[in-house]
Amino acid sequence: MEKNSRENNTADIASRRDFLRKAGTYTAASLTGTAMLLSPKPSKATANVSWAEHFQKHYRLMTEEEKAEAIERLEKRYSEEFGKKVSVDGSTAIDGVLFGYALNIQKCIGCRRCVKACVAENNQSRGKEQEIEWIRVLRLEKGNFSEEDRDKGGYPDDYGIQVGGNAYKPAGVVLEGQHYYEPDKVPEKDAFYLPMQCMQCEKPPCVKVCPVRTTYRDPDGIVVIDYNWCIGCRMCIGACPYWARRFNWGEPDLPKEDMNPVTHYLGNRPRMKGVVEKCTFCIQRTRKGRWTACVEVCPVGARKMGNLLDPDSDVRKVLATKKVFRLRADLNTYPKFFYFMD
Amino acid sequence: MKRFSSFVFDFIRAAFSGGPLFWAWLLFLSFFIAAYGYGQYVQLVNGMIVTGLNDQISWGFYLANFVFMVGVAAAAVTVVFPAYIYKHHDMHKIVVLGEMVAIAAVIMCLLFVVAHMGRPDRAWHLVPGIGILNWPNSMLAWDVIVLNGYLLLNILGGFYFLYKKYTGEPINKWFYLPIVYIAIVWAVSIHTVTAVLINTMPARPMWFHSIMPIKFIITAFAAGPSLIIIVFLLVRRFTPFKIADNAIHLLSQIVTWCLGIALFFMLSEVVTELYPSTEHAGGLKYLMFGHHGLNALVPFYWTSLGLMVGAFILLLIPRVRKNLKILPFLCIAVFLGIWIEKGMGLMLPGVIPTPVGEYAEYTPSNIEYMIVAGIWAFGFFALTILIKGATGIMLEKVKYQETTEQPSTSKHPGTAATA
Amino acid sequence: MTSNKWCGNLIGLCFLAAVLPSTTYGEATPAGKQCFESRKDMSQVQQKAIHPGEPNVKCSPTTGAVLWWGDPFDGTIPMGDMPVEADYSHEEAVVRPREPQIDRNKLLTICSMACHNGQYVPYPKDKLPRPLRMHNDIVPDAMKLKHGKGAIWCLDCHHAAERTKLIDHFGNPISFNEPQKLCGKCHGQVYRRWREGIHGKRIGMWKVGAKKRWWVCTECHNPHDVEHGEQQSGFAQLDPEPAPMLPKGMKNADHERLHEHTHYSGH
Repeated sequence: MEKNSRENNTADIASRRDFLRKAGTYTAASLTGTAMLLSPKPSKATANVSWAEHFQKHYRLMTEEEKAEAIERLEKRYSEEFGKKVSVDGSTAIDGVLFGYALNIQKCIGCRRCVKACVAENNQSRGKEQEIEWIRVLRLEKGNFSEEDRDKGGYPDDYGIQVGGNAYKPAGVVLEGQHYYEPDKVPEKDAFYLPMQCMQCEKPPCVKVCPVRTTYRDPDGIVVIDYNWCIGCRMCIGACPYWARRFNWGEPDLPKEDMNPVTHYLGNRPRMKGVVEKCTFCIQRTRKGRWTACVEVCPVGARKMGNLLDPDSDVRKVLATKKVFRLRADLNTYPKFFYFMD
Repeated sequence: MKRFSSFVFDFIRAAFSGGPLFWAWLLFLSFFIAAYGYGQYVQLVNGMIVTGLNDQISWGFYLANFVFMVGVAAAAVTVVFPAYIYKHHDMHKIVVLGEMVAIAAVIMCLLFVVAHMGRPDRAWHLVPGIGILNWPNSMLAWDVIVLNGYLLLNILGGFYFLYKKYTGEPINKWFYLPIVYIAIVWAVSIHTVTAVLINTMPARPMWFHSIMPIKFIITAFAAGPSLIIIVFLLVRRFTPFKIADNAIHLLSQIVTWCLGIALFFMLSEVVTELYPSTEHAGGLKYLMFGHHGLNALVPFYWTSLGLMVGAFILLLIPRVRKNLKILPFLCIAVFLGIWIEKGMGLMLPGVIPTPVGEYAEYTPSNIEYMIVAGIWAFGFFALTILIKGATGIMLEKVKYQETTEQPSTSKHPGTAATA
Repeated sequence: MTSNKWCGNLIGLCFLAAVLPSTTYGEATPAGKQCFESRKDMSQVQQKAIHPGEPNVKCSPTTGAVLWWGDPFDGTIPMGDMPVEADYSHEEAVVRPREPQIDRNKLLTICSMACHNGQYVPYPKDKLPRPLRMHNDIVPDAMKLKHGKGAIWCLDCHHAAERTKLIDHFGNPISFNEPQKLCGKCHGQVYRRWREGIHGKRIGMWKVGAKKRWWVCTECHNPHDVEHGEQQSGFAQLDPEPAPMLPKGMKNADHERLHEHTHYSGH
């Protein structure tokens, strides 16, 4: 059966990969040869870039024909580079849709599956040289319950009067979040977790500071980047209050077999060095009607996403029935990424 | 046309004429410039991964030097300003040297920006017409305009003056003076815009202060004239060009007062941040005291503060300030102190911690050191030959009538041009 | 008739004896790469290709958790009727059947055929708790049920006569594929939120009215231990995915583990 042969095929690939991995660990003799097979070289995305790609216009200013041409160019180049049929979608915003997101901070267990799912979907660079992840999960620890801090612990007690203005310990919670937490198991007893990613602000500071308008807000509320127009000045990285943007410091390292061939021009198509990227609410999925990879992967169902203009959508139901908040609301960036609790 | 080409030719000849010390200096700088070329090549080929920058600290050594050099470029105005507003006689003659400093500094700024860019090959995207300049939204777009405009104004003003001096023609005040006055305002604008570029980002609380533009300008007016004093003293020493003590005393006074005000601003910032000590003070606290063992910037901060405070106290004493043997060392102290304070000391605590509270440390890579040292060398190279050429003309070493091989044609330049 | 049944029982018992030593409840025979969706060992998926070069799922190399679905509806069946006021007529709701997960080795089927057929072991007459004399090994959490704080017991949820079924308020059997009908008996509020899509997990198409795969209660929660020790989160603890790469130049992240909010003058 065809299905069977496909299964065998993946099994073959998997076992071959395993073998190579082992070979790499145990064989020193054929080091160079193995190394070449072992590390699927970062596809040199800029190696075969045609002149036409170099001098193409800003994506938004292209005519429909130019867009189709640009997409065809990319599909051809990517398919050659990654050894499989790669599609580049150019879908525009769906009418009547404004995307919004809601994350149940009470449910989140800090397992970081969203982080890795995002990487599996969005073709970020991976490996030792540069690892790009669009989602960052913060661990916030409850603690600082100390009896002696009641009377000592930094309270100046001249005259026996506690001034308090220089109280040094935040009782009840540790203020600083941890980014690199690695417990054996999550969730932990004394911690909660706060995932962060691009908030798709309605008033995005990153868009305002971009000197060449390479990053802009599309009508469905997604803030996108034309990777081919970005000059790599990183103003947007400086301006983003949520630290949502990442930069391709070197040529991205995207192994052929892990590459997701279903891509969007403004989304997860392979990037080149020297440009900025970030979460696009999986534009290649959401504009085709499918949930984002992070919504789908969350093992506790903490992530909800949908059309803010549809009163029956998940996100609108959350807004209607739950207490919600947004990060750094004081900055008036109007994120469309809401946090809520049960 | 003939006159112009002979001007160019003679300027270059004057610029590149000098003794063994001069050539040794240029050779010394060329070594760094060659290293810069190599470093920039490596960075272009491999991407910015060859730097010490990362997603946590994405602005570093290049932009720190950029911000500082914008200040030096703006400081040229401190020379121009008294000369034209107060008709300060001694300053008048040497304005053109200040303009040469500005030209060299702006060129350095542009090179630092190119080094900072991930895709310098796409710089044309900034050019209106073929690209899109996001003006007036983007502060960087403003900066592109004011910096390039300032470069043009100084080239125009400086070389117009030299050209007229060279040909012995009178200066057309209706053309020249507006350029000078515009350049004065423009000089303030380049530094204001650069300050506003980084202080309009509430994501970076360390920078998000309205004191930033004026502090930028005041530190520029301390560091810039410090450099100019050193340049003037060198010019006096190595060329017959006369620069009166008066001019230098005026500059050292400007340095003193601006440095004093700069220190006051620093104090205001420190008190404002550290008294309530909110989360937003994280950057400044990291700079001054480190964070849980991450202390890379601490020695730099205190060194810079020591240099600035020490220099300020000494400069306050008139006898010390007017002693031209001590003054250059004080100028170097001020220059270095502000270079640290306004360079890495401003750039890094702005990005550390990240907006989501992550602390990381940054050390520039060797490639970054190479590129930065190379751009400085390039700047000094440019400054040297610009000043050499300019003093050559100002001292009338090269002059149109004397240097033309066919003196007869100089009387009828129009006919010569068609030949 | 009776002897026939005894005969069947005997065959069943022999089969059971053959299966029991080699397998425990809930473990699958390994064949190719196994991943799990939400609960480890209770929501297994076999990795395979759905298109050339495109897997049905991508799994975490470190934890074995499914990270990505190539086809969100692979291996699903229609969710079936929803008993209470929900309006699902307008959209296609599918679930991945729980029975193959829970009864992976057909043990429950054998149980009800061989022993718990009402004759070899008589059906319990009431729902009252009683100590289990057997099966502590195959139902490891049966004796220390952490659900309901002692107020409920096995037969409040499991059908007394049909071992492969759950039970509703009227004594009717509920399929393992539809645990929501059981859990909703008590957890009305959560059930309502689940039906609205706010509680729990769904994958597929985000649009209201488009096809979705719904996760049912037992895909995420362990009904025999909903407390999960001290963290009380309602979820079993999981292996987290690895931490992000440290920023360039950083050797460790020790600084973020120091909690003393030491004041600068303290240095």
